[in-house]
Amino acid sequence: MVMNKKNIFIMQIISLSLIWIFVAGISVWILNLLNLSLELSDVPSATIAISLVAIPVFVTIAIVLTYVFVGLQRGNSQDR
Amino acid sequence: MARWGMVVDLDMCTGCGACIAACKEENNVAYVSPEEAEKGRAISWMQMVNFVEGEFPNVHIKYMPRPCMHCDNPPCIKVCPVHATFKDEEGIVGQIYERCIGCRYCMSACPYTVKYFNWFEPEWTESTIASMNPDVSLRKKGVVEKCTFCHHRLQKARDKARAKGMEVVDGDYTTACADTCPTQAISFGDLDDPNSNTARLSKSKRAFRMLEDLGTEPKVFYLSEGEKNV
Amino acid sequence: MFDATDYEDFPLIEPIENTGKAFYRTVVVLVAVIVFALFMYVRQLRIGLGVTGLNEPVAWGFYIVNFVFFIGISHAGTLISAILRLSKAEWRRPITRMAEVITAIVLAIGGLHPILDLGRPDRMMNIFQSGRLQSPLLWDVTSITAYFTASTVYLYLPLIPDIAILRDRGTKPKWLYEFLSWNWKGTEYQKKVLERAISILMVMVIPIAISVHTVISYIFSMTLQPGWHSTIFGPYFVVGAIFSGIAALLIVMIAFRKVFHLEGYLKEIHFSYLSILLLIMSLLWFYFTFSEYLTGYFGHEPYEMKVFWYKFAGEYAPYFWTMIFCNFLFPLIILSNKRTRKIPGILAASCGVVVGMWLERLIIVVPSLTNPRLPYPQGVYIPSLTEWSLFAGALSVFVLGFVLFAKFFPVISIWEVREGRERAVREVTERIESYLPTPHGAKSG
Repeated sequence: MVMNKKNIFIMQIISLSLIWIFVAGISVWILNLLNLSLELSDVPSATIAISLVAIPVFVTIAIVLTYVFVGLQRGNSQDR
Repeated sequence: MARWGMVVDLDMCTGCGACIAACKEENNVAYVSPEEAEKGRAISWMQMVNFVEGEFPNVHIKYMPRPCMHCDNPPCIKVCPVHATFKDEEGIVGQIYERCIGCRYCMSACPYTVKYFNWFEPEWTESTIASMNPDVSLRKKGVVEKCTFCHHRLQKARDKARAKGMEVVDGDYTTACADTCPTQAISFGDLDDPNSNTARLSKSKRAFRMLEDLGTEPKVFYLSEGEKNV
Repeated sequence: MFDATDYEDFPLIEPIENTGKAFYRTVVVLVAVIVFALFMYVRQLRIGLGVTGLNEPVAWGFYIVNFVFFIGISHAGTLISAILRLSKAEWRRPITRMAEVITAIVLAIGGLHPILDLGRPDRMMNIFQSGRLQSPLLWDVTSITAYFTASTVYLYLPLIPDIAILRDRGTKPKWLYEFLSWNWKGTEYQKKVLERAISILMVMVIPIAISVHTVISYIFSMTLQPGWHSTIFGPYFVVGAIFSGIAALLIVMIAFRKVFHLEGYLKEIHFSYLSILLLIMSLLWFYFTFSEYLTGYFGHEPYEMKVFWYKFAGEYAPYFWTMIFCNFLFPLIILSNKRTRKIPGILAASCGVVVGMWLERLIIVVPSLTNPRLPYPQGVYIPSLTEWSLFAGALSVFVLGFVLFAKFFPVISIWEVREGRERAVREVTERIESYLPTPHGAKSG
């Protein structure tokens, strides 16, 4: 398999976007459950509390990962 | 709105088990082979619980028919991850077989152990198919089932009442176990209806509920035994 | 800054570049066990959960026991590594990587166990379409997913400089290391970025890890069942999880030390320090167990007592007392004595703890179910061949995961070890000097 720098970079971008798709999926899922619990008035307070904790956690993880990726690309061109 | 409940008079109950058989017939409960039943795989929405009181030779066995308690504060509903078990406006705790994922959390959480699991794909012989109740859906393997207070009968009664432009009231419908009981120990009706015999019995001094101190608020009442002939 | 001809840490790279026959033999054996387990699972799917030993009233058995057990082991890792990093324990350097790998693999295995247990795994999507966040099972799904994501990222980030070392050496497959190294060149700026990200994650990972096992304990303690409905279950499970996690970590460390000849990296002192931590956790575990059962016994509530005697003197007494021996007496005797606190002794104690903690999970899950409140006949649970083979399969997946990881990545963090050699002595000296009491009359600095 021949892999030049550009292809690898594209692959890296794709794999990084996967984490965002994943986080978006989780958020959509949780919001869907929130909507459902409001609709059925099935303890929405608990659902809201859990959503408020869970979604930011996933988003933070994705942000950290993206920060590292961007940082490594930038640091590379800056110093050398 | 009615609040359906049941009262079992333990003074009248002989422990004959007719309610168990009637329930199985009515609700298309799957047949389980004796070997599997031995392993604890039998399904019996109505069950006879035997409380042994006293020491030999002064032993006394108390029989208590045990359907689902249809708690007002049901521990099973709280834990279900997919809305497969729910309490409707009339207080009946139902189970949606087509949605159940078979995690058996409700079975573990029920203090009365009234929930049953389909360990295998139920097998139906030709004769059982012929005598099936068309009003009750069949359960497949891998789902949880339990007593529904013969909910299909309520639906029929509701249809009839609606045709007359009325609401379902006490006496319009009863469960198969109450129907069958030869001594009429089981009475079924609207607990909120002041004119209902069931409601009146449930307020009797003899009335108690199973594991009352758990706070599950069961809607199945028992009338304590032996108080007529102490 | 890294050199392909750099042989300083060759023992860590050698297993990746020169794969021995033993690797392939191990993989074949493990894959065979996994294939058999898969076959048994497919059979269970076709026939139904009747092929297990589960029944009414014992609705939960091995699958849930193993779920709790494996997720417990996962606390080895990320949590210990995060705590050691956070407390700047210098001896952590050769340990953190293995700990993190354990977490990632075992979480994946543990997380799949509830699916093995489902009667209708084909309806899994119902959790997404019509789930209820109110159910403790969904708390688990969310919490485990968060922990898995966080700990995989936490495993990956400190791996980047090591991947770059392999890339610079030209290790095959080249594209893999090129792809995963994210352009790491080891510049000052890159180091700063990476270190900042790692420190954010290590702070985040600790509460997530604690939440995971707390929430798993809630599955049980949120019900009204005797033996489960207990307020200390959350911390009790977390303590047990860290306890079994350290034991698993010690076993893995001893195994890799032997197989990869890492005596130069994992020294006696590492084992000694970790085993003292294990001893502390053992005492803590005993304290929790004692509190849990004493409150039950003192209250003497009849249903609680039924479960209590079932464990202490009934059918589960052999398991219960083995657990007490494995988790408390045995580690206490071996690890509190300096002469036996050597690698063979530590290995024995760790194996004991892993077995004991598995028994603890069994003792928590099953007896409460075999003793229902109403006077039904006591339930019996005899796990079937299907359950045993899926257990063996799960263990094989764990070993296979580790073997494959070690085939492609160094099991000890090379850059952190080097950083330790370069900076640790100076940094630690400075740190100690900074908190040494200032002598009377001298200027405080």
